[in-house]
Amino acid sequence: MPDDPSFTSRRRFLQWSAVAVPALAAAGAPASGQAPSADDRPTFFSASEWAFLRAAAARLIPADALGPGALEAGVPEFIDRQMATPWAEGRLWYMQGPFVPDAPPTLGWQMRLTPRDVYRLGIAAADGWTQDRHGRVFAELDPAAQDGVLQAFESGKARFEQVPAAIFFAMLLGNVREGFFSDPVHGGNRGLAGWKLIGFPGARADFMDWVERDVAYPLPPVSLSGQRG
Amino acid sequence: MKRRWPLQRLKRLLIGLVVLGALGFLAVLGYAFWPTHTRAIAAPASAADAALIERGRYLALAGDCTACHTAPGGKPFAGGLALASPIGAIYSTNITPDRRTGIGGYSLDQFDRALRHGIRADGASLYPAMPFPSYARLTDEDVRALYAYFLHGVVPVAQADRSPDIPWPLSMRWPLALWRKTFAPSPDAVAFDPKRYPDERVARGAYLVQGAGHCGSCHTPRALTLQERALDESGAQYLAGNQIIDGWNAINLRGNPADGLGRWSEQDIVETLRTGRNPHAAVVGSPMADVTVHSMQHLADADLHAIAAYLKTLPPVPGAGPGFAANDATAKALQAGINDSRGAELYVDNCAGCHRTDAKGYSRVFPAIAGNPTVLAREPDSLVRLILGGSSMPATVAAPSALGMPGFGWRLGDAEVAALASYLRSQWGNQAPPVASGLVARIRAEMPGENHASEEAAHAR
Repeated sequence: MPDDPSFTSRRRFLQWSAVAVPALAAAGAPASGQAPSADDRPTFFSASEWAFLRAAAARLIPADALGPGALEAGVPEFIDRQMATPWAEGRLWYMQGPFVPDAPPTLGWQMRLTPRDVYRLGIAAADGWTQDRHGRVFAELDPAAQDGVLQAFESGKARFEQVPAAIFFAMLLGNVREGFFSDPVHGGNRGLAGWKLIGFPGARADFMDWVERDVAYPLPPVSLSGQRG
Repeated sequence: MKRRWPLQRLKRLLIGLVVLGALGFLAVLGYAFWPTHTRAIAAPASAADAALIERGRYLALAGDCTACHTAPGGKPFAGGLALASPIGAIYSTNITPDRRTGIGGYSLDQFDRALRHGIRADGASLYPAMPFPSYARLTDEDVRALYAYFLHGVVPVAQADRSPDIPWPLSMRWPLALWRKTFAPSPDAVAFDPKRYPDERVARGAYLVQGAGHCGSCHTPRALTLQERALDESGAQYLAGNQIIDGWNAINLRGNPADGLGRWSEQDIVETLRTGRNPHAAVVGSPMADVTVHSMQHLADADLHAIAAYLKTLPPVPGAGPGFAANDATAKALQAGINDSRGAELYVDNCAGCHRTDAKGYSRVFPAIAGNPTVLAREPDSLVRLILGGSSMPATVAAPSALGMPGFGWRLGDAEVAALASYLRSQWGNQAPPVASGLVARIRAEMPGENHASEEAAHAR
C-alpha cells in the first residue's frame, strides 16, 4: 500500500494541508467575521434551547489557532434549518415498531422519537441534569465544566429519562459536523471555515489541471453559491 | 422694426400650405394604392406532379416556412403563431390548401404575388415579417414547385386566420405598400444569375442563402426603415450580423477572423448546420437552434456544402473590429493557479470545469471560448444572455444530444457577469471591448418577461 503513488501523494497532500490550512484559515479569518444572520432568531429552538445549542457547538468544534469554530461558522443556524426538513420529522425513516433498542446499528433508527423530539427532550434533560449537578444550565458553565458535561453525555454516564444521553449526544455531534462541513448555502460553514480547515476545494467541478502534477492545489474553496473562501 | 404680414397674405399662404399638404398626401395615397403589376408565370403541365411536389417540399424545408406558419402545438402550416411587433402582435397565416381558410383557392399567380411580391390575393400588402424581399430571388420553377407542394403535398386544415392585435389606425395596410414599393426588390430585377459566381456550387449556395434560406432576415443589419441593408454580396453589410433576435445576437457570417466565420472551414459550417455543433463552436440561442432543427439539418449534403462554400466567399466587413490572435498566456497563468482578477476567479469557479483553463473546451461537447464568434461578437448580448440563462445545443438527427449549459444568473451579480464577460472577451488572444454591467442589468430584466410570441417574432424579421 505505501508503494501506491496515489497513497503517497495523498499523504503528502495531507501533510501539506496541515501546514497550509492554518495559514489559509488565519488569512481568511477576518473575512469570515460576517454578521450572524439567524443566530438571534431561530425558528425551531426556544431561547433556552438556542443558548444550549450555541454553547455546545462552541465546545464540540471550538475556535482555536486553526481557525473559527462551529459557533463562528454558523452551525447552530444550520441545525435550526435542519429542524425544518423532512428528516427532522422522521419522514425519511421507517418509524413504526417493533422498536428494538439493542438492535445492531445496521438495522437503523430504533426509537419512536424524531430528531426534533430528540433535540426538544434532549436539551431539556441536558439542562436539567446540568442544573442538578452544577446548579446552573449548560450555557452558563465555564468551558472546562461544559467539556466534562458533554463527556458524561457521550459516555452515557448521564441518565436522561426520555432519550438516552448518548443518542442525544451522537445526533448533536453528527449535526454539528454536518453544519461545519456542508456547503455554506445551508447556513453553516460560514466563510468556508470548515473547508479551509481541511483543504477541501469545494464545488469547482473539475480538477484536471492538477492531476499527476504533484503540486499542492493552490486555490481557495468555493461554495455552490459562488462564494470564494 | 418688425414688418407685419398683411392678413390677406397670411391667409393665402395658409390655404396654399393646406392644399399642398393635401395634394402631397393624395400623391402618397395614390402611390400606395396604385396596383403593382406582376408578370404572370406559366403553370406547370401538372401541378400534382410528384417530383414537383417533392421539390417544393424540400424548398419549404430550406425556407423554414414552418418556423412561422406552424404555431407551437398547432397543425403544420395552419398559422396562428403570434409575431410580436412594437405596435401589437400579428399572426402568421394558414398556408394549408384549405379552400375557405387557407390558400386552397389561390391560383399560381396569386401564390407567386404573395411569395415573391408580398401582395395578398385581395391586393393588400403583407407585413414584411414575411421575407418576400428574399423570396423575390426564387426562380419561377421553384415558385411552381412550392405551389405544387402547398396545394397537393400539405394536409388542408380549416383554421381561420387571426387578425393582428394592432389597433386602428396603425392597422391600416396601405403604408405597408409604401414600404414594399420602396424597399422590396422586383423579382425580375433580382432574378438569380448563377453566372455572377465562380462556380456552380457557390452559385447554388448563394441561391439558397439569399433566396429560400433568407439568412439575411436575421444576419444582415437593417436600416432605420427596417429593410435589410443588402440582399446579396453586392453590399459590404450583407450577413454582417449583430442583429439581436429574441435577445440573441445573429452572428457575423462574413470572413472576419474573430467575430465572423473567417477561421471556420467549409466543413465547420456544414457540421454546424447539420448537427448544431462543430469541433470548436456550437449553435447558441433558440433562434438558430430552431433553424437547425426544423430546416438546415434536413438539407442535402451537397446543398450544405454549397451554402458553406458561398459563405466562405464573403470577405470580412471592412474596418476595425474584434480580433483574435491565439495566445497561451492566460492558460498558463490559470494552470499555475494564478487568478489575478475577479474575472479570472469567476472563470475558474464557474466555467473552467467544462470549458477548461485553456478555453478550448471539449470538441463537439463544450465549445471553445478562445476565438469563438459568439464570445467576440461586437454586440455581446448572446454572451451575457448565455451566462445569465444558459442555452442548449439543438438535438439533431445526426447529433441527438441536446447538451446544455446552465444559467449562472442566480449566483452571479450584474457586475460579476460583466467582469466575467469582459474577461472572456480579452483573454486567450480574444480581443473585443469589455461589457458594461448596465447591459447585463438590462438583459437580466428582459429575461423573466420573455414569452413565446416575442421569441418567435424575430424569425420573421
